Amino acid sequence: MAPLEDELRSALRRRDPSPDFTERVLARVAAAPARRARQPWVRWVAAMAATLLLAAGGLEYRHYQGERAKDQVLLAVRIAGSKLNKAQKKVQMLTHRSNS
Amino acid sequence: MKAAGLLIASLLFAGAAPAQQVKWNFDKVAAKASDTVDVSLSGSLLQFATKFLSDSDKDEAKVKKLVGGLKGIYVKSFEFKKPGEYSAADVESFRAPLRPPDWQRIVGVHSSEDGENVEVYIESDSNGIGGLAIIATEPKELTLVNIVGAIDLDSLSELGGQFGIPEGLEVDKKK
Repeated sequence: MAPLEDELRSALRRRDPSPDFTERVLARVAAAPARRARQPWVRWVAAMAATLLLAAGGLEYRHYQGERAKDQVLLAVRIAGSKLNKAQKKVQMLTHRSNS
Repeated sequence: MKAAGLLIASLLFAGAAPAQQVKWNFDKVAAKASDTVDVSLSGSLLQFATKFLSDSDKDEAKVKKLVGGLKGIYVKSFEFKKPGEYSAADVESFRAPLRPPDWQRIVGVHSSEDGENVEVYIESDSNGIGGLAIIATEPKELTLVNIVGAIDLDSLSELGGQFGIPEGLEVDKKK
């Protein structure tokens, strides 16, 4: 067991880094490619695109609502007109009967 | 129809409060209906809708002119699966708000043959005709129409026969 303990003690003993360790680390950090910062105009373009999309969506929804309201107007006029038409036809029919 | 015209002409001179939407309670009838058509267009929505009516389309242009000055259009049409689903009392409850002096019935047609009845009422206000109401009943259908606002009868006349509006309906012309 003694040789094994000696081997372990030798393997796990504290070692000081080499004198150029710090320099080598700093050199590697400097050599690593720098992360590019996002350009400010990208944010502006993204914001403008989002605004345009929202505006287009709003206009489209407004158009949809308008078309729906228009259909309702036409339906209402159609129903009201048909009922008036019915009344007028019956009046005409009764007038015709009473005259003949 | 001439008598109806004279009646309306006399109403033009009667002063009254500004026209308002008729307050009908549809709950009882709506509960029994199998199908319902509900059109409810207040003044602002009506004005918004008219912007989408085409000037180049002949029919739409006429409707645009007709509804341009209105304050509201309200239509309720109920269909029932079998006759007798609504009662005479139900219809009477719809007649109740259409009483003189504000409202005058100008046409009342009752047909025992097909069971179709149509009543047309006109509301008078300080400017003349301020509203129109129609109660149309059939064995399996009940329709109520309320148009609020100064009805341009010239436009209505122009629309004669189109969209089912009778040609030359001589209800009267606003002077």
